[in-house]
Amino acid sequence: MTIDRRQFITLSGLSLLAACDSRGPKSAEKFLRYAERKNEQLERALFRHTSIDVPPAGARLTGDALPSYFISKTVPIWDESKRGPWALEVGGMVDRPQKLTLKNLLDLPRTHQRVNHYCVEGWSAVEQWTGVRLRDLARLAGAHKGAKYVDFESFDDGYHESWDIESALHHQTVVAYGLDGRMLGPAHGAPARVYSPTKLGYKNTKYLTRIMFLPNRTGGYWSDQGYEWYAGV
Amino acid sequence: MAKRRHHWIVRVTHWVNVVALTIMIGSGLQIFNAYPRFARRGETFCCYPWEGTPVPSWATFGGWLAGARNWHFAMMWVLVLNGLIYIAFIYLHGEWRDLVPRKGFFRDSWQMTRFYLFARKDHPVQGKHNALQRAVYFLMPWVALVIVVTGVAIWKPVQLAPLTNLMGGYVWARYWHFMSMVVLIILSLIHIFMVFAVDPYSLRAITTGGYNEENSPEARNARPFQNLLPNRFRKKRTTPAPASQ
Repeated sequence: MTIDRRQFITLSGLSLLAACDSRGPKSAEKFLRYAERKNEQLERALFRHTSIDVPPAGARLTGDALPSYFISKTVPIWDESKRGPWALEVGGMVDRPQKLTLKNLLDLPRTHQRVNHYCVEGWSAVEQWTGVRLRDLARLAGAHKGAKYVDFESFDDGYHESWDIESALHHQTVVAYGLDGRMLGPAHGAPARVYSPTKLGYKNTKYLTRIMFLPNRTGGYWSDQGYEWYAGV
Repeated sequence: MAKRRHHWIVRVTHWVNVVALTIMIGSGLQIFNAYPRFARRGETFCCYPWEGTPVPSWATFGGWLAGARNWHFAMMWVLVLNGLIYIAFIYLHGEWRDLVPRKGFFRDSWQMTRFYLFARKDHPVQGKHNALQRAVYFLMPWVALVIVVTGVAIWKPVQLAPLTNLMGGYVWARYWHFMSMVVLIILSLIHIFMVFAVDPYSLRAITTGGYNEENSPEARNARPFQNLLPNRFRKKRTTPAPASQ
Protein backbone atom coordinates (compact mmCIF):
# COMPACT_ATOMS: atom_id res chain seq x y z
CA MET A 1 0.00 0.00 0.00
CA THR A 2 2.96 2.30 0.55
CA ILE A 3 3.67 2.30 -3.11
CA ASP A 4 0.15 2.73 -4.43
CA ARG A 5 -0.40 6.39 -3.77
CA ARG A 6 3.14 7.35 -4.65
CA GLN A 7 3.20 5.16 -7.71
CA PHE A 8 0.09 6.88 -8.85
CA ILE A 9 1.72 10.27 -8.62
CA THR A 10 4.77 9.06 -10.49
CA LEU A 11 2.56 7.74 -13.22
CA SER A 12 0.39 10.79 -13.31
CA GLY A 13 3.11 12.70 -15.13
CA LEU A 14 1.86 10.63 -18.05
CA SER A 15 -1.74 10.37 -17.08
CA LEU A 16 -2.24 13.96 -15.98
CA LEU A 17 -4.46 14.65 -18.95
CA ALA A 18 -6.50 11.55 -18.33
CA ALA A 19 -6.80 12.43 -14.66
CA CYS A 20 -8.03 15.91 -15.52
CA ASP A 21 -10.61 14.41 -17.83
CA SER A 22 -11.81 12.03 -15.18
CA ARG A 23 -12.37 14.93 -12.83
CA GLY A 24 -14.99 16.12 -15.21
CA PRO A 25 -15.84 19.48 -16.72
CA LYS A 26 -14.95 22.87 -15.23
CA SER A 27 -18.40 23.34 -13.73
CA ALA A 28 -18.04 20.06 -11.85
CA GLU A 29 -14.69 21.25 -10.54
CA LYS A 30 -16.42 24.40 -9.27
CA PHE A 31 -19.10 22.36 -7.57
CA LEU A 32 -16.49 20.13 -5.91
CA ARG A 33 -14.49 23.13 -4.65
CA TYR A 34 -17.66 24.71 -3.33
CA ALA A 35 -18.58 21.53 -1.48
CA GLU A 36 -15.09 21.26 -0.03
CA ARG A 37 -15.30 24.83 1.32
CA LYS A 38 -18.71 24.16 2.84
CA ASN A 39 -17.57 20.88 4.31
CA GLU A 40 -14.58 22.62 5.87
CA GLN A 41 -16.88 25.20 7.48
CA LEU A 42 -19.02 22.44 8.90
CA GLU A 43 -16.03 20.43 10.10
CA ARG A 44 -14.51 23.46 11.78
CA ALA A 45 -17.83 24.14 13.49
CA LEU A 46 -17.90 20.52 14.70
CA PHE A 47 -14.34 20.71 16.00
CA ARG A 48 -14.02 20.54 19.78
CA HIS A 49 -10.83 20.64 21.79
CA THR A 50 -12.62 18.30 24.17
CA SER A 51 -13.17 15.64 21.50
CA ILE A 52 -10.47 13.14 22.31
CA ASP A 53 -9.48 10.13 20.28
CA VAL A 54 -9.53 6.91 22.27
CA PRO A 55 -8.28 3.69 20.63
CA PRO A 56 -10.54 0.65 20.86
CA ALA A 57 -10.31 -1.27 24.11
CA GLY A 58 -7.92 -4.19 23.76
CA ALA A 59 -6.50 -3.02 20.44
CA ARG A 60 -2.87 -4.03 19.98
CA LEU A 61 -0.22 -1.57 18.88
CA THR A 62 0.21 -1.80 15.13
CA GLY A 63 4.00 -1.75 15.53
CA ASP A 64 5.92 -2.89 12.48
CA ALA A 65 2.74 -3.30 10.45
CA LEU A 66 2.50 0.48 10.27
CA PRO A 67 3.25 1.48 6.66
CA SER A 68 5.92 4.04 6.04
CA TYR A 69 5.39 6.94 3.66
CA PHE A 70 7.75 9.51 2.23
CA ILE A 71 7.97 11.25 -1.11
CA SER A 72 11.75 11.13 -1.59
CA LYS A 73 13.15 8.27 -3.65
CA THR A 74 14.82 6.76 -0.60
CA VAL A 75 14.16 6.96 3.11
CA PRO A 76 14.95 10.56 4.09
CA ILE A 77 17.75 10.60 6.63
CA TRP A 78 19.16 13.79 8.14
CA ASP A 79 22.84 13.84 7.16
CA GLU A 80 24.65 15.68 9.95
CA SER A 81 27.94 15.74 8.08
CA LYS A 82 26.34 17.81 5.31
CA ARG A 83 23.62 19.74 7.04
CA GLY A 84 24.91 20.10 10.57
CA PRO A 85 23.00 18.95 13.59
CA TRP A 86 19.25 18.66 13.16
CA ALA A 87 17.15 21.28 14.85
CA LEU A 88 13.49 22.16 14.81
CA GLU A 89 12.73 25.79 14.04
CA VAL A 90 9.63 27.42 15.41
CA GLY A 91 9.00 30.70 13.69
CA GLY A 92 6.62 33.01 11.87
CA MET A 93 4.24 35.02 14.02
CA VAL A 94 5.97 34.34 17.31
CA ASP A 95 7.62 36.50 19.97
CA ARG A 96 10.52 34.15 20.59
CA PRO A 97 11.60 32.17 17.52
CA GLN A 98 13.07 28.83 18.57
CA LYS A 99 15.69 26.50 17.25
CA LEU A 100 15.33 23.29 19.22
CA THR A 101 17.77 20.43 19.11
CA LEU A 102 16.52 16.93 19.76
CA LYS A 103 17.91 17.26 23.29
CA ASN A 104 15.93 20.49 23.78
CA LEU A 105 12.80 18.67 22.68
CA LEU A 106 13.48 15.78 25.02
CA ASP A 107 13.84 18.24 27.91
CA LEU A 108 10.44 19.80 27.30
CA PRO A 109 7.32 18.47 29.07
CA ARG A 110 6.76 15.03 27.64
CA THR A 111 3.48 13.43 26.67
CA HIS A 112 2.63 9.81 25.84
CA GLN A 113 -0.49 9.03 23.91
CA ARG A 114 -1.97 5.88 22.54
CA VAL A 115 -4.19 6.89 19.65
CA ASN A 116 -5.73 5.82 16.38
CA HIS A 117 -4.20 6.65 13.05
CA TYR A 118 -6.70 7.39 10.30
CA CYS A 119 -5.30 7.19 6.79
CA VAL A 120 -6.97 8.86 3.81
CA GLU A 121 -6.92 5.43 2.15
CA GLY A 122 -9.32 4.05 4.72
CA TRP A 123 -7.05 2.06 6.95
CA SER A 124 -6.50 2.69 10.61
CA ALA A 125 -3.81 1.73 13.08
CA VAL A 126 -3.07 2.14 16.75
CA GLU A 127 0.17 3.78 17.83
CA GLN A 128 1.76 5.15 20.93
CA TRP A 129 3.47 8.48 20.44
CA THR A 130 5.92 10.21 22.73
CA GLY A 131 6.65 13.87 22.24
CA VAL A 132 5.85 17.46 23.02
CA ARG A 133 2.41 18.95 22.69
CA LEU A 134 2.29 21.51 19.96
CA ARG A 135 0.44 23.89 22.26
CA ASP A 136 3.46 23.77 24.58
CA LEU A 137 5.74 24.72 21.70
CA ALA A 138 3.35 27.52 20.73
CA ARG A 139 3.47 28.83 24.27
CA LEU A 140 7.25 28.50 24.42
CA ALA A 141 7.66 30.51 21.25
CA GLY A 142 4.91 32.94 22.13
CA ALA A 143 2.72 32.45 19.09
CA HIS A 144 0.61 35.48 18.25
CA LYS A 145 -3.16 35.55 18.44
CA GLY A 146 -3.30 36.52 14.78
CA ALA A 147 -1.63 33.30 13.69
CA LYS A 148 -4.57 31.39 12.25
CA TYR A 149 -2.58 28.75 10.42
CA VAL A 150 0.47 26.59 11.02
CA ASP A 151 2.74 25.16 8.36
CA PHE A 152 4.75 22.05 9.08
CA GLU A 153 7.81 21.76 6.86
CA SER A 154 10.11 18.80 6.37
CA PHE A 155 13.36 17.70 4.79
CA ASP A 156 11.46 15.10 2.76
CA ASP A 157 11.85 16.70 -0.67
CA GLY A 158 9.77 19.75 0.14
CA TYR A 159 6.86 17.92 1.77
CA HIS A 160 4.80 20.18 3.96
CA GLU A 161 1.20 20.60 5.06
CA SER A 162 -0.49 23.60 6.62
CA TRP A 163 -3.18 23.38 9.29
CA ASP A 164 -5.82 25.50 10.94
CA ILE A 165 -4.60 26.73 14.32
CA GLU A 166 -7.41 25.02 16.27
CA SER A 167 -6.40 21.52 15.17
CA ALA A 168 -2.73 22.35 15.74
CA LEU A 169 -3.45 23.37 19.33
CA HIS A 170 -5.63 20.34 20.07
CA HIS A 171 -3.99 18.65 22.99
CA GLN A 172 -3.52 15.39 21.09
CA THR A 173 -1.42 17.20 18.48
CA VAL A 174 2.20 16.48 19.28
CA VAL A 175 5.65 16.81 17.84
CA ALA A 176 6.61 13.18 18.32
CA TYR A 177 10.11 11.78 18.66
CA GLY A 178 9.08 8.41 20.07
CA LEU A 179 6.91 5.64 18.61
CA ASP A 180 5.71 2.63 20.57
CA GLY A 181 8.22 3.25 23.36
CA ARG A 182 11.29 3.63 21.13
CA MET A 183 12.91 6.59 19.48
CA LEU A 184 11.29 7.32 16.14
CA GLY A 185 13.01 5.51 13.26
CA PRO A 186 13.80 6.95 9.82
CA ALA A 187 10.90 4.99 8.30
CA HIS A 188 8.37 6.95 10.34
CA GLY A 189 9.79 10.45 10.25
CA ALA A 190 12.89 10.63 12.48
CA PRO A 191 14.09 12.70 14.20
CA ALA A 192 10.66 14.21 14.82
CA ARG A 193 7.29 14.48 13.15
CA VAL A 194 3.82 15.84 13.75
CA TYR A 195 1.15 13.47 14.90
CA SER A 196 -2.48 14.13 15.69
CA PRO A 197 -5.47 11.80 15.49
CA THR A 198 -7.58 14.84 14.60
CA LYS A 199 -6.13 14.90 11.09
CA LEU A 200 -5.78 12.31 8.34
CA GLY A 201 -2.32 10.80 8.12
CA TYR A 202 -1.07 12.91 5.23
CA LYS A 203 -1.49 16.14 7.19
CA ASN A 204 0.98 14.87 9.76
CA THR A 205 4.32 16.00 8.33
CA LYS A 206 7.25 13.69 9.04
CA TYR A 207 10.96 14.53 9.00
CA LEU A 208 10.00 17.84 10.55
CA THR A 209 12.32 20.85 10.22
CA ARG A 210 10.19 23.92 10.75
CA ILE A 211 6.91 24.98 12.31
CA MET A 212 5.66 28.32 11.04
CA PHE A 213 2.78 30.24 12.64
CA LEU A 214 1.15 32.17 9.82
CA PRO A 215 -1.75 34.49 9.06
CA ASN A 216 -2.72 32.55 5.90
CA ARG A 217 -2.96 28.97 4.83
CA THR A 218 -0.11 27.74 2.69
CA GLY A 219 -1.52 24.59 1.15
CA GLY A 220 0.43 21.39 1.34
CA TYR A 221 1.98 18.58 -0.63
CA TRP A 222 -1.16 16.46 -0.97
CA SER A 223 -3.67 19.28 -0.55
CA ASP A 224 -2.18 21.04 -3.57
CA GLN A 225 -2.78 17.92 -5.64
CA GLY A 226 -6.47 17.66 -4.91
CA TYR A 227 -6.77 16.05 -1.49
CA GLU A 228 -8.83 17.98 1.06
CA TRP A 229 -6.83 20.71 2.74
CA TYR A 230 -8.73 20.47 6.02
CA ALA A 231 -8.72 16.67 6.26
CA GLY A 232 -10.13 16.72 9.78
CA VAL A 233 -11.10 13.48 11.45
CA MET B 1 -55.87 14.69 -18.43
CA ALA B 2 -55.49 11.57 -16.41
CA LYS B 3 -54.07 11.87 -12.94
CA ARG B 4 -50.30 11.46 -12.88
CA ARG B 5 -49.19 8.21 -11.28
CA HIS B 6 -46.33 9.95 -9.45
CA HIS B 7 -46.23 13.54 -8.26
CA TRP B 8 -43.53 15.60 -9.98
CA ILE B 9 -41.58 15.84 -6.73
CA VAL B 10 -41.40 12.06 -6.58
CA ARG B 11 -40.32 11.89 -10.22
CA VAL B 12 -37.62 14.54 -9.87
CA THR B 13 -36.23 13.15 -6.61
CA HIS B 14 -36.21 9.65 -8.10
CA TRP B 15 -33.97 10.64 -11.00
CA VAL B 16 -31.78 12.92 -8.93
CA ASN B 17 -31.35 9.96 -6.63
CA VAL B 18 -30.35 7.70 -9.52
CA VAL B 19 -27.55 10.09 -10.49
CA ALA B 20 -26.42 10.90 -6.96
CA LEU B 21 -26.48 7.29 -5.82
CA THR B 22 -24.56 6.09 -8.87
CA ILE B 23 -21.84 8.65 -8.23
CA MET B 24 -21.79 7.88 -4.51
CA ILE B 25 -21.41 4.15 -5.14
CA GLY B 26 -18.76 4.62 -7.84
CA SER B 27 -16.70 7.08 -5.84
CA GLY B 28 -17.17 5.01 -2.70
CA LEU B 29 -15.79 1.96 -4.46
CA GLN B 30 -12.85 3.99 -5.76
CA ILE B 31 -12.12 5.04 -2.17
CA PHE B 32 -12.53 1.43 -1.04
CA ASN B 33 -9.96 0.34 -3.63
CA ALA B 34 -7.30 2.45 -1.91
CA TYR B 35 -7.49 -0.10 0.91
CA PRO B 36 -9.79 -2.92 -0.18
CA ARG B 37 -9.96 -4.60 3.19
CA PHE B 38 -11.42 -3.86 6.58
CA ALA B 39 -8.75 -5.08 8.99
CA ARG B 40 -6.89 -2.55 11.07
CA ARG B 41 -3.21 -2.50 10.03
CA GLY B 42 -1.46 -5.54 11.43
CA GLU B 43 -4.68 -7.36 12.22
CA THR B 44 -7.13 -9.64 10.49
CA PHE B 45 -10.83 -9.14 9.96
CA CYS B 46 -13.34 -11.86 10.63
CA CYS B 47 -16.18 -11.10 8.34
CA TYR B 48 -15.16 -10.21 4.83
CA PRO B 49 -14.00 -13.05 2.58
CA TRP B 50 -12.46 -10.85 -0.13
CA GLU B 51 -9.96 -8.92 1.95
CA GLY B 52 -7.41 -7.36 -0.36
CA THR B 53 -9.39 -7.76 -3.58
CA PRO B 54 -10.17 -4.44 -5.26
CA VAL B 55 -13.45 -3.98 -7.08
CA PRO B 56 -13.16 -3.73 -10.88
CA SER B 57 -12.32 -0.26 -12.12
CA TRP B 58 -15.41 -0.04 -14.36
CA ALA B 59 -17.43 0.16 -11.16
CA THR B 60 -15.46 3.11 -9.84
CA PHE B 61 -15.84 6.84 -10.31
CA GLY B 62 -13.57 9.83 -9.75
CA GLY B 63 -10.38 8.64 -11.43
CA TRP B 64 -8.20 8.49 -8.33
CA LEU B 65 -8.50 8.60 -4.59
CA ALA B 66 -8.63 12.39 -4.19
CA GLY B 67 -11.04 12.78 -7.10
CA ALA B 68 -13.31 10.11 -5.69
CA ARG B 69 -13.20 11.64 -2.22
CA ASN B 70 -14.07 15.08 -3.59
CA TRP B 71 -17.05 13.64 -5.43
CA HIS B 72 -18.12 11.53 -2.47
CA PHE B 73 -18.05 14.41 0.00
CA ALA B 74 -19.84 16.74 -2.42
CA MET B 75 -22.48 14.36 -3.74
CA MET B 76 -23.38 13.18 -0.25
CA TRP B 77 -25.20 16.47 0.29
CA VAL B 78 -27.20 16.06 -2.89
CA LEU B 79 -28.14 12.54 -1.83
CA VAL B 80 -29.14 13.55 1.69
CA LEU B 81 -31.05 16.72 0.73
CA ASN B 82 -32.82 14.91 -2.10
CA GLY B 83 -33.71 12.07 0.25
CA LEU B 84 -35.07 14.47 2.85
CA ILE B 85 -37.22 16.25 0.26
CA TYR B 86 -38.62 12.91 -0.89
CA ILE B 87 -39.35 11.66 2.62
CA ALA B 88 -40.87 14.98 3.70
CA PHE B 89 -43.05 15.02 0.59
CA ILE B 90 -44.40 11.50 0.84
CA TYR B 91 -45.04 12.07 4.52
CA LEU B 92 -46.91 15.36 4.07
CA HIS B 93 -48.68 14.33 0.89
CA GLY B 94 -49.85 10.93 2.08
CA GLU B 95 -47.92 8.86 -0.48
CA TRP B 96 -46.31 6.95 2.36
CA ARG B 97 -49.54 4.99 2.62
CA ASP B 98 -48.69 3.27 -0.67
CA LEU B 99 -45.22 2.41 0.59
CA VAL B 100 -45.34 1.17 4.15
CA PRO B 101 -46.26 -2.48 4.64
CA ARG B 102 -49.88 -2.82 5.61
CA LYS B 103 -51.95 -5.36 7.44
CA GLY B 104 -51.58 -8.82 5.93
CA PHE B 105 -48.18 -7.94 4.49
CA PHE B 106 -46.74 -11.44 4.88
CA ARG B 107 -49.80 -13.13 3.43
CA ASP B 108 -49.81 -10.72 0.49
CA SER B 109 -46.07 -11.20 -0.08
CA TRP B 110 -46.53 -14.93 -0.04
CA GLN B 111 -49.35 -14.70 -2.57
CA MET B 112 -47.21 -12.52 -4.85
CA THR B 113 -44.37 -15.01 -4.58
CA ARG B 114 -46.72 -17.86 -5.41
CA PHE B 115 -47.98 -15.98 -8.42
CA TYR B 116 -44.46 -15.37 -9.73
CA LEU B 117 -43.67 -19.06 -9.20
CA PHE B 118 -46.77 -20.13 -11.18
CA ALA B 119 -48.27 -21.65 -8.04
CA ARG B 120 -51.13 -19.23 -8.36
CA LYS B 121 -52.92 -18.28 -11.53
CA ASP B 122 -54.28 -14.80 -10.93
CA HIS B 123 -52.31 -11.76 -10.02
CA PRO B 124 -53.24 -10.85 -6.43
CA VAL B 125 -55.31 -7.72 -6.08
CA GLN B 126 -53.09 -4.83 -5.12
CA GLY B 127 -53.22 -1.09 -4.73
CA LYS B 128 -50.59 1.12 -6.31
CA HIS B 129 -47.82 -1.38 -5.60
CA ASN B 130 -47.78 -5.07 -4.75
CA ALA B 131 -46.63 -6.32 -1.38
CA LEU B 132 -43.11 -7.22 -2.53
CA GLN B 133 -42.67 -3.80 -4.11
CA ARG B 134 -43.82 -2.16 -0.92
CA ALA B 135 -41.23 -4.14 0.99
CA VAL B 136 -38.41 -2.93 -1.27
CA TYR B 137 -39.57 0.69 -1.48
CA PHE B 138 -40.06 0.74 2.27
CA LEU B 139 -36.67 -0.79 3.05
CA MET B 140 -34.66 1.46 0.75
CA PRO B 141 -34.92 4.67 2.81
CA TRP B 142 -34.03 2.75 5.97
CA VAL B 143 -30.97 1.20 4.38
CA ALA B 144 -30.06 4.65 3.06
CA LEU B 145 -30.33 5.98 6.60
CA VAL B 146 -27.89 3.32 7.81
CA ILE B 147 -25.54 4.24 4.97
CA VAL B 148 -25.64 7.92 5.89
CA VAL B 149 -25.16 7.37 9.62
CA THR B 150 -22.28 4.91 9.16
CA GLY B 151 -20.80 7.26 6.57
CA VAL B 152 -20.80 10.15 9.03
CA ALA B 153 -19.24 7.81 11.60
CA ILE B 154 -16.23 7.06 9.39
CA TRP B 155 -15.97 10.67 8.22
CA LYS B 156 -15.61 12.08 11.74
CA PRO B 157 -14.51 9.25 14.06
CA VAL B 158 -12.84 11.67 16.48
CA GLN B 159 -15.15 14.68 16.53
CA LEU B 160 -18.21 12.41 16.53
CA ALA B 161 -16.60 9.55 18.45
CA PRO B 162 -19.79 8.53 20.32
CA LEU B 163 -21.49 7.84 17.00
CA THR B 164 -18.54 5.82 15.70
CA ASN B 165 -18.37 3.85 18.94
CA LEU B 166 -22.06 3.07 18.60
CA MET B 167 -21.23 1.25 15.35
CA GLY B 168 -18.52 -0.73 17.09
CA GLY B 169 -15.63 1.60 16.25
CA TYR B 170 -14.07 2.85 13.04
CA VAL B 171 -13.31 -0.54 11.48
CA TRP B 172 -16.84 -1.81 12.01
CA ALA B 173 -18.44 1.46 10.98
CA ARG B 174 -16.53 1.22 7.72
CA TYR B 175 -17.73 -2.37 7.32
CA TRP B 176 -21.38 -1.47 7.97
CA HIS B 177 -21.08 1.43 5.55
CA PHE B 178 -19.88 -0.98 2.87
CA MET B 179 -22.36 -3.75 3.64
CA SER B 180 -25.37 -1.44 3.75
CA MET B 181 -24.29 -0.18 0.33
CA VAL B 182 -24.24 -3.79 -0.88
CA VAL B 183 -27.79 -4.25 0.43
CA LEU B 184 -28.94 -1.07 -1.30
CA ILE B 185 -27.37 -2.22 -4.57
CA ILE B 186 -29.16 -5.56 -4.32
CA LEU B 187 -32.50 -3.87 -3.64
CA SER B 188 -31.88 -1.49 -6.55
CA LEU B 189 -30.99 -4.31 -8.91
CA ILE B 190 -34.16 -6.19 -7.98
CA HIS B 191 -36.12 -2.99 -8.56
CA ILE B 192 -34.53 -2.37 -11.96
CA PHE B 193 -34.96 -5.98 -13.02
CA MET B 194 -38.64 -5.97 -12.11
CA VAL B 195 -39.24 -2.68 -13.92
CA PHE B 196 -37.98 -4.15 -17.16
CA ALA B 197 -39.32 -7.63 -16.65
CA VAL B 198 -42.78 -6.93 -15.25
CA ASP B 199 -43.80 -3.30 -15.62
CA PRO B 200 -41.82 -1.38 -18.26
CA TYR B 201 -44.73 1.09 -18.39
CA SER B 202 -43.64 2.33 -15.00
CA LEU B 203 -40.59 3.92 -16.69
CA ARG B 204 -42.97 6.37 -18.32
CA ALA B 205 -44.81 6.82 -15.05
CA ILE B 206 -41.68 7.77 -13.13
CA THR B 207 -40.55 10.14 -15.89
CA THR B 208 -43.57 11.99 -17.22
CA GLY B 209 -46.09 10.62 -14.75
CA GLY B 210 -48.32 9.09 -17.41
CA TYR B 211 -49.63 5.58 -16.77
CA ASN B 212 -52.42 3.52 -18.21
CA GLU B 213 -54.00 1.34 -15.54
CA GLU B 214 -54.98 -1.14 -18.26
CA ASN B 215 -51.31 -1.89 -18.65
CA SER B 216 -50.64 -2.42 -14.97
CA PRO B 217 -49.11 -5.79 -14.08
CA GLU B 218 -52.30 -6.64 -12.23
CA ALA B 219 -54.44 -5.93 -15.29
CA ARG B 220 -52.05 -7.81 -17.56
CA ASN B 221 -51.59 -10.61 -15.05
CA ALA B 222 -47.88 -10.06 -15.64
CA ARG B 223 -45.08 -12.26 -14.50
CA PRO B 224 -41.43 -11.48 -15.30
CA PHE B 225 -40.90 -11.44 -19.07
CA GLN B 226 -44.49 -12.53 -19.58
CA ASN B 227 -44.38 -11.64 -23.26
CA LEU B 228 -41.56 -14.12 -23.75
CA LEU B 229 -43.46 -16.93 -22.12
CA PRO B 230 -45.33 -19.61 -24.11
CA ASN B 231 -49.01 -18.88 -24.65
CA ARG B 232 -50.38 -21.24 -22.07
CA PHE B 233 -48.75 -19.23 -19.29
CA ARG B 234 -50.45 -16.04 -20.37
CA LYS B 235 -53.86 -14.96 -19.40
CA LYS B 236 -56.24 -12.58 -20.99
CA ARG B 237 -56.45 -9.07 -19.56
CA THR B 238 -58.81 -8.94 -16.62
CA THR B 239 -60.17 -5.57 -17.67
CA PRO B 240 -61.32 -5.63 -21.25
CA ALA B 241 -59.74 -3.07 -23.50
CA PRO B 242 -62.19 -0.30 -24.36
CA ALA B 243 -63.86 -0.71 -27.71
CA SER B 244 -62.11 1.60 -30.05
CA GLN B 245 -64.55 1.46 -32.92
